[in-house]
Amino acid sequence: MEYKAPVETYTGKVAEVVIGKGSKAVKVGGESVLPLHTFEGTIPNPPKIALQTLDAAPPASWTQWVLEPYGDAVKDPVAWAKKAVEYGADLVAITLDSTDPAGANAPADAAAVVVKKVNDAVSVPLIVYGTGDEKKDVEVLVKVAEVCSGEVLLLGPVLKENYEPIAQAALAHGHNLIAQTPLDINLLKELNIKLAKFFPPNRIVIDPLSSPLGYGMEYSFSLMERTKQTGVIFKDAMTQMPIIANLALETCKTKEAKADKKQGILWELMAAVSLLLAGANIIVVQYPDTLKALKGLMAGKV
Amino acid sequence: MKIIGENIHIISKAVNDAVKERNPKPIQELALAQAKAGADYIDVNVGPARKNPENVSWLVDVIQQVTELPLSIDTMNPGAMENGLKLCKKRPLLNSASGRTDSKVNMLPLAVKYKCDVVISVLVDTGCPPDVEGRSESIMNTVALANEQGIPNEDIWVDPIILPVSGDQVQVGLCLEFVKILQDLLPGVKGTVGLSNVSNGTPEHLRPILNRTYMVMLEKCGMYSAIADPLDQELMAINRGERPHIVKIIHRVMDGEDVDLNSLTPEERDYAKTAKVLKGDILYSHAWLEV
Ligand code: SF4
Repeated sequence: MEYKAPVETYTGKVAEVVIGKGSKAVKVGGESVLPLHTFEGTIPNPPKIALQTLDAAPPASWTQWVLEPYGDAVKDPVAWAKKAVEYGADLVAITLDSTDPAGANAPADAAAVVVKKVNDAVSVPLIVYGTGDEKKDVEVLVKVAEVCSGEVLLLGPVLKENYEPIAQAALAHGHNLIAQTPLDINLLKELNIKLAKFFPPNRIVIDPLSSPLGYGMEYSFSLMERTKQTGVIFKDAMTQMPIIANLALETCKTKEAKADKKQGILWELMAAVSLLLAGANIIVVQYPDTLKALKGLMAGKV
Repeated sequence: MKIIGENIHIISKAVNDAVKERNPKPIQELALAQAKAGADYIDVNVGPARKNPENVSWLVDVIQQVTELPLSIDTMNPGAMENGLKLCKKRPLLNSASGRTDSKVNMLPLAVKYKCDVVISVLVDTGCPPDVEGRSESIMNTVALANEQGIPNEDIWVDPIILPVSGDQVQVGLCLEFVKILQDLLPGVKGTVGLSNVSNGTPEHLRPILNRTYMVMLEKCGMYSAIADPLDQELMAINRGERPHIVKIIHRVMDGEDVDLNSLTPEERDYAKTAKVLKGDILYSHAWLEV
């Protein structure tokens, strides 16, 4: 008798989040199968790959080979974002590096104007990351939410310590939120519960923190797996939000990646592929070729 | 369940200061309060007690001046343990021995020497066994050794080692499974748990309901006693059987009944949600009561 592999049918469903206004809209999540289990059901919105850009020229410490494909465009946030779209980015993930209190410490309204200009100039939706500074991000992200009202951005990171004001602004101006917790599934769920009390759960994306091999990959992998299984298999609504793996901040800045371009590229690609398997619905990378390779890998399979 | 009062603990500042200043008053007040609240034993926890193993002697003496309750001497230091045991008027509880090599060599013999009850935990040299099989294997070995040295099962209180639900939720459920099979493994043994460990890491105001619910669940699985906070009046009321409606709802959840939360009172609803989390049906978060 011909062997027939068992097919699991889950009843839990990942929430579908829409990012971007009108024709630019991109959907993530919505599947009710485990990551890439196309043999068990449909995946309405295959994982999306975003390229990272900054809101100002990159600091000297930035890994140089990552910037080569962009040439001089990196000097202008709009040109940089446009180039990212040319390289096939499904979304552009702009990090407001200039607002870093430990760096240029640019004011919130300056950053918000840049985000607006970039948003209006590109044909894909924007993911906007603050620097992760608890206090400054509140000013910056609230301002961005206001200036880009109605543009349906994906804003974050919101933390347990500062989610209230940012979520209120995102609620008022129609944006989505990136709920970030430090690699802890219980804290992850707690933040979602607190947000979901006043903020629509289908406008939340989970950022559980992503690390490349050698820097805690095992933790990111197992955490994403557990989060996805808890949502899809055990139907826990507070872990059914789509997941974003922001590897852009972690991988190419490592000394291994800086020292050796080839190793760096493989490092980012391996991390991205692993977290795809773990359940990431959006992956943010820096190097355009990583994006190309990921898309090639997924082509026809998802 | 027998309750071993946990409040005299060297980590608490009041106790630590009283010990340093050799001021009996705060210690005696705590002992009396726990006795009044219905504790069956008073735990005297001096922790590792590496620096001054004689502290426990002062504590035992001071406590025995105001209460007849038997004492549980709680330390990892064999020297301090012996100092405590030899002063106990009532038959004490040696808390604790384990499957660790140093404990088998240094602690177990003290239970033989002083012919007292002894807590034996499932810990082994590599730490806490992660599953029911590992806990069973460890406790069977250590109890066999204790039996050989003349300690009968009736004098042995098995501790399955409780881990915080906020840190390792899976272990909370596994402990219940282990407790269920304990009598089959070792007929006649008693048992105890560090109950409050289950709520370690949980915000302070949310700890009691976790401790109370887990106590009821452990008792249903056959647990004999718990090192717990007798000053939590609700916990003691539940333990005295004065809250049957709460025990009932926890048992219904344990038996796998799909309880309709809307049919419950707010209080019962909280206990039902807490039981579901401790049973492992729902992923823990500090906001588990808010969903
Ligand atoms: S299994 Fe994990 S912890 Fe063990 S060696 Fe491999 S990477 Fe390291």
